[in-house]
Amino acid sequence: MPTYDVVVIGAGLAGLSAACELAESGARTFVAGHGMAATHWAHGGVDVAAPPGVATSREGLEALRLIDGHPYAMLADDVEPAVAAHLRRLDVAALGYRGDLDTPLTAIPTAIGGRRQVAIVPAAQSAAARAWQPDERLLVLGITGFKDFWAPYMAHNLARTWTSGGPAGVEADVVELPDLAAAHNLSPMTLATLFDDPTWRGRAFRALGAVAPRLGAWRVAMPAVLGVSRHADVHAAVQQILGHRVFEVATVPPSVPGLRLFEVLRRRLLERGGQIQIGFPIVSVERRGRMIQALHTEAASRTHRLAADHFILATGGIAGGGIRADPDGRLHESVLGLPVEAPPRAAWFSPDVGPHPLEAAGIRTDASLRPIDVEGAPLLDNVHVIGSTLAGMRYLSERCGDGVALASARRAVLEIGAASAPPVEAEPASISLPAADAPVEASA
Amino acid sequence: MTFRDAATYDHPPFSTDACLKCNVCTTVCPVARVTDAFPGPKYVGPQAQRFRAGNDTLPLHAPDVTVDWCSGCGICTRACPAGVLIAETNNRARAAIVSERGSSLRNRLISDTDLLARVGVPFAPVANLTLTNPIFRTVLERTIGIHRRAPIHPFARRTFADRWQRRTRREANGGSAAPVDPGPDRAVVYFVGCAANAWEPEVAETAVEVLERNGLSVIVAGGQACCGLPFMSNGLYDHARRKARRNIDALVAYARRGYRIVGTSTSCTHALKAEYREMLDIDDPRARAVADATWDIMELLADLFERGRLNTDFGPIDEPLPYHAPCQLRSHGIGTPALDLLRMVPGLSVIDSDHDCCGAAGTYGLKREKWQIAQDVGQPLFDRVRASGAARAACDSETCRWQIEASSGVPTRHPIEILAESYRRFEPTVMTV
Repeated sequence: MPTYDVVVIGAGLAGLSAACELAESGARTFVAGHGMAATHWAHGGVDVAAPPGVATSREGLEALRLIDGHPYAMLADDVEPAVAAHLRRLDVAALGYRGDLDTPLTAIPTAIGGRRQVAIVPAAQSAAARAWQPDERLLVLGITGFKDFWAPYMAHNLARTWTSGGPAGVEADVVELPDLAAAHNLSPMTLATLFDDPTWRGRAFRALGAVAPRLGAWRVAMPAVLGVSRHADVHAAVQQILGHRVFEVATVPPSVPGLRLFEVLRRRLLERGGQIQIGFPIVSVERRGRMIQALHTEAASRTHRLAADHFILATGGIAGGGIRADPDGRLHESVLGLPVEAPPRAAWFSPDVGPHPLEAAGIRTDASLRPIDVEGAPLLDNVHVIGSTLAGMRYLSERCGDGVALASARRAVLEIGAASAPPVEAEPASISLPAADAPVEASA
Repeated sequence: MTFRDAATYDHPPFSTDACLKCNVCTTVCPVARVTDAFPGPKYVGPQAQRFRAGNDTLPLHAPDVTVDWCSGCGICTRACPAGVLIAETNNRARAAIVSERGSSLRNRLISDTDLLARVGVPFAPVANLTLTNPIFRTVLERTIGIHRRAPIHPFARRTFADRWQRRTRREANGGSAAPVDPGPDRAVVYFVGCAANAWEPEVAETAVEVLERNGLSVIVAGGQACCGLPFMSNGLYDHARRKARRNIDALVAYARRGYRIVGTSTSCTHALKAEYREMLDIDDPRARAVADATWDIMELLADLFERGRLNTDFGPIDEPLPYHAPCQLRSHGIGTPALDLLRMVPGLSVIDSDHDCCGAAGTYGLKREKWQIAQDVGQPLFDRVRASGAARAACDSETCRWQIEASSGVPTRHPIEILAESYRRFEPTVMTV
């Protein structure tokens, strides 16, 4: 009901982490999501920077910040504190992560038997990044009837392509879990919810024990369905039962690791007095000069008005719906109608995917993340643009999406804190950071 | 319509063209989570829709009947990042199946709430005794398929319409009749709905009390019926359209004169606001006028607050109160006004249930084959309500209240009843101990 300090548009990693930080600082914060966001499509890890040829995220970051017009050119110093704050937030909620900017980038298996470069991953995926012992083999363990994770296919592709630096051998097996023999419609969420149930879980563990590899050194890959609310316990127990290190592999969407991440951030926001509504697409904007006064979201009838002092645009890029193409060959920003920096339409169809010209399309901003026009003049004073909506980043080829999301979220919150200066003591988002591995302090 | 026409995508079956197949809807579906019978919103919606022709030359054949396991909660539509109207598409698909293959006696019976009320209310004492008799309930389950443990709320002994008529007559005789037309600034039109009329008239009377405490007189428009949602949920669109037209006829003149139409059931008000258009294709200016004038009562009170016109003389209620925002309320797109208002009551410690759906979904939880699913969907909510140790809970929709009350054992009230109690406690003259 009330007027908010900040309305965040978009409920992905960028929007939610900005909202958490705002709510933690006491700002009245409202998150309006069109729908569930990219968290549910992604692997749950934190991709900071892995352009081809770098050994660590820090190296990647140093390379990307030199690219003219890249968001890291203005955000590079925000990355490390933003990532640390993010990981601490997850750690408090028992969703542990491993790695930092100096962790060597390692190629870990994907659900279709490809590999992707990672450094900062959920704890349950971290065993995938460990160096392989000479005689250590990989068992890909699927679940009978679960079509989103096809163990023989994944194992076959890995065995075919992973010729050096990997396991001594790759095998596949499937385990039949209790009550699911006749199931037709197993989704990752169904399985993850079952693993949260202590009774079913006990029976599932017995079935898993029966397929545990007995002889030799093994590592086991399982689909990322090992619980939602009891995930850490489930993962630990499965490792114990199988007698080997077990790592989760994010499935094709939907992604349970992404869903866990979303859930932790959502709850954190609510605990700190923030609000979030999903299914709240913006349909109109009240604007006076260079200030947005309120947004209107779609409702069953009429519209729902959200007034605020500041707005954060975190609607994603082309995939997330923040930037849309019309049939006439123009890209437009879907909420505020901001000008989109984009290659000419002919380049949209370039066969070159490393990087693809369209990847860098987005909204151009000044150093404080406010949108600007082609001449560099500010368009709106109380709007900050964050995450994949920003121009100049190549999410796919540079693997920098999560780092940009977190760093730009932090920067936007600092800017808002500075803009709404007077009574707020210090800047709301000033995070004094312990080293990444320091114990989490209970807030006094 | 063409694909260049943006309006195309507001039409539920066409909106499915925007589906990215990301399966987010499947992860949030409370039914798919608990039963293997339902393949999830994506499969029965955007996937199956490609096999449903539905143009002038081909009938709307329904290739897959598993869509009938959809409870209609609408959570998928709100979660969809691409704006696909999944639940609405699925509801229409069920209606196509029903129009091809017919409906069961049970579904026609439980949908016809006005008929049930006409039969049940005059014989309430007997009917209520019968409906709590385990032998009769077993027979009812075996014969027509209403689960023997499904919550059936007792009929009121007198409908709200009846009570209201008496009150009007009394006031006329006492010479204290309200002005016939006090104008849209000082009066609202109350859409009663079947539940508040025949099962819970105390909710309706409490709503009137609260509105009057806020300086609004209440007009109960004649000729109104059940909103038709039970028929819609059971795919009986022709019946639903008859109810819809009757309600639009009863309300449109008021809507056009600027009156606000207020309801106490988030399900009914959502039907008036959106479902006549989205499901039943009733999209004329009269229906639009009614839709635009319709408010949930909590939404209206929150609006009064925003404009500085809410009576905030709330007396203390010192207790914990679990509150469940029903799925139908979420489809309004208005946030959770009840939560905001209840938090103004001094002493009241409101606990947001933070759970998607109670499972009942109108008539879904009554059905023999679906009762267990409805229980499983709502289980975390029932556990949370019980664990709160509260003496009562609150929820805006009737069938949700009945479900929560039956399955958690905690009496569950409409938020308006809690607010009314708070007002009463503020005034020493009316205070009772």
